[in-house]
Amino acid sequence: MPRTRTTKKLAQRIDLNYFKRSSPLRRWRTWLVVGIPALAVVWLVWLAVGRDDTVYSSGGLSAAHAVLNTDCAACHVREAGRFSAAATDMACLACHDGPIHKEKQMFTPTCASCHVDHRGPVRLAATSAASCAQCHAKLRVKSGASLIANQIEGFGEHHPEFTVLLARHTDPGTIKLNHAVHMKKDLRGPDGKPVQMACQDCHRMRGVIEPWPYADPQLRPASVFASTDTASPDGRALRGALQGPSIMSPVTYSTACAACHVLQFDKRFTEGIPHGKKLQELHEFLLKKFQEYIATHPAELRIVREPDRSLTGMPLQPIARMLTPWQWVAERTAEAEELLWRKTCKQCHSLAKAQGAPFPEIAKPSLLARWMPRAKFSHAAHQMLTCTSCHAAATSTEASDVLMPSIAICQSCHNQSANGAESRCFLCHTYHDWSREKPVRGKFRLHHITGGQPPQPGEQ
Amino acid sequence: MRIDATHRKWLRASLGIAAAAATAYILNALMSAHGPRGGSALGLTFGIVGSAFMLFAGLLGARNRVPVWRLGRAQTWMRGHLWLGLLSLPLILFHSGFQFGGTLTTVLMWLLILVVASGILGTALQHYLPSRMTGDVPMETIFDEIASVRAQLNREADQLVAAVCGALDAAAANPAVPAPSESREPADAVLLDAEEGLPLRRFYLSEMRPFLNRPHEKQAALADPQRAAAAFEQLRTLLPLSVHSIVKDLENICEEERQLRRQVRLHHLLHDWLLVHIPLSLALLVLGAVHAWMALRY
Repeated sequence: MPRTRTTKKLAQRIDLNYFKRSSPLRRWRTWLVVGIPALAVVWLVWLAVGRDDTVYSSGGLSAAHAVLNTDCAACHVREAGRFSAAATDMACLACHDGPIHKEKQMFTPTCASCHVDHRGPVRLAATSAASCAQCHAKLRVKSGASLIANQIEGFGEHHPEFTVLLARHTDPGTIKLNHAVHMKKDLRGPDGKPVQMACQDCHRMRGVIEPWPYADPQLRPASVFASTDTASPDGRALRGALQGPSIMSPVTYSTACAACHVLQFDKRFTEGIPHGKKLQELHEFLLKKFQEYIATHPAELRIVREPDRSLTGMPLQPIARMLTPWQWVAERTAEAEELLWRKTCKQCHSLAKAQGAPFPEIAKPSLLARWMPRAKFSHAAHQMLTCTSCHAAATSTEASDVLMPSIAICQSCHNQSANGAESRCFLCHTYHDWSREKPVRGKFRLHHITGGQPPQPGEQ
Repeated sequence: MRIDATHRKWLRASLGIAAAAATAYILNALMSAHGPRGGSALGLTFGIVGSAFMLFAGLLGARNRVPVWRLGRAQTWMRGHLWLGLLSLPLILFHSGFQFGGTLTTVLMWLLILVVASGILGTALQHYLPSRMTGDVPMETIFDEIASVRAQLNREADQLVAAVCGALDAAAANPAVPAPSESREPADAVLLDAEEGLPLRRFYLSEMRPFLNRPHEKQAALADPQRAAAAFEQLRTLLPLSVHSIVKDLENICEEERQLRRQVRLHHLLHDWLLVHIPLSLALLVLGAVHAWMALRY
């Protein structure tokens, strides 16, 4: 009779108490179910005993705060009776001053709402555009009207054209400069040879040390020009904006013009008049020069002027005059001043002579050091570009032309596309009014930050 | 549990919740000042709902411990466990803004990923393997009784061979087989003389008994059905016709042993993932509670 598998036979094979016995799989499961959570708890207890709270950090601190990575309490101040130990403005202000933005602002965000830490080694100052848009998307001020556009959400979203490019704005400078002429080919250089001028021959970033090709010969080898105009017209210091080679120095005669535009006043002298002096000083300079000259050239006191021919074409007798030294100096000075006021100075400056005034008035150059006073800009960061990519200097013929690029040119690179350059507000604007910055009196000692032992009494 | 048409409602609801959450997340990411943050109102909502789903999924184990409680149908609990547990991953990712954050949150995120991944693997295995088990292992028995059944198979085989070849000597006594409580004497057994029974005795002691005694040895010839069939066919040619029915029984015992091996393998596939899934789930819930407490504080 062959082997059979009836239900009865199969049932007889089963031990009815099988489920009471432990199986390896069940044993493993029990051990792991107890062991792994217990291991997790032991881990946390171990960290708590070692007073290591860093495990609860929601992410690495910014580079500036990295030194506080192990000292959560530096920012997360625990107060008796309070559950929350969130980082408050008070904790930030213990180390930093954060001056207010504007007196008229309706809303002041908390420090942490713009400067979000625990996001790894990011720049905390690189705040999001949305932080600014909290107010500027629908800008309201405490009193009066807002002086700026009131619906700005970002550089690409409703940001108005730069103020200096609006129709009513012209270059306030009074120097008559034709950029197009200066950028022509084959201009005659200082030594008479043709030259092709470049923007950098006259415009330099601060701190750039390089010979000026068209400077006064005494300055030509190398010069550093430093502007002191580091504040915006409304008095707000622009922290960081003017440090290093970021903005262009205003062009000066001595570094950019002197080699070609020699201020010659008389054919007897090769040197020109000094630039940048008051006209009274120039007058005295001329008197002195001519007095010195006539003292060494008394023969010139006799002036022989070639006469005109008669109506018949026959030459007349030359007219000779004998002058005193004082007369000679006065005549030569008057001639030189006539040349200067009418031609040499006037080529670049605006002169106006008031009734009865001995000398004309030269209008102040009024060269703007900062065209966008509420923004910061770094030429150094853009030096891979040609100047004319942004500034239409080659076609500008009027000194009043504003050669600032339009916002569209900036936006061609600074946009939110995948390959766009940084376009958040902080790149150009500063929230805090650093002119109001107050000094901070530090409260930490070194061992608080380094986690070392506090100094013993008597030690520093 | 099979993923069949009865899951359709859960699938739709889960897709709806996931889509709504994704929409809210994307809109929030586009509009908020600093992108998605776990501490924002929406981020906290994602965290609370995701944690609630995880907790519900974890309660399945508690519910299974007290099956007599009237706490809903086991199938409903299982479906909720599957779908809400799966939903917890995207919700927690939305909560974290797809950032792993610090040490504890990184550990939590990896635990969640491992738990969900092991759950998906387990669900797939439990969907496909039971039907395969039914087809491949018709002689399936209770898994915990396999060792006992194996001992009985050994004993049965010993008795069959002894009935034909005479008592197996003490040296050849099967150490893995406890003393039989009742002996099975085949009715049609014919005692062969020593020479006639030698092929069977030799085959049994050298091939079949080691195969039955060492279930973890995979290289045995009898572990392969074709090689086993060939071996038994050859054995039959060496034995008189009168004992072929005994040989058939022995072949059947080998087949049952092969099926038990297959059942063990499939059982491990069906259940071993739980060794990862359950302990890590509990660790996740414990650490998640600590994370919630500390995050609300800081």
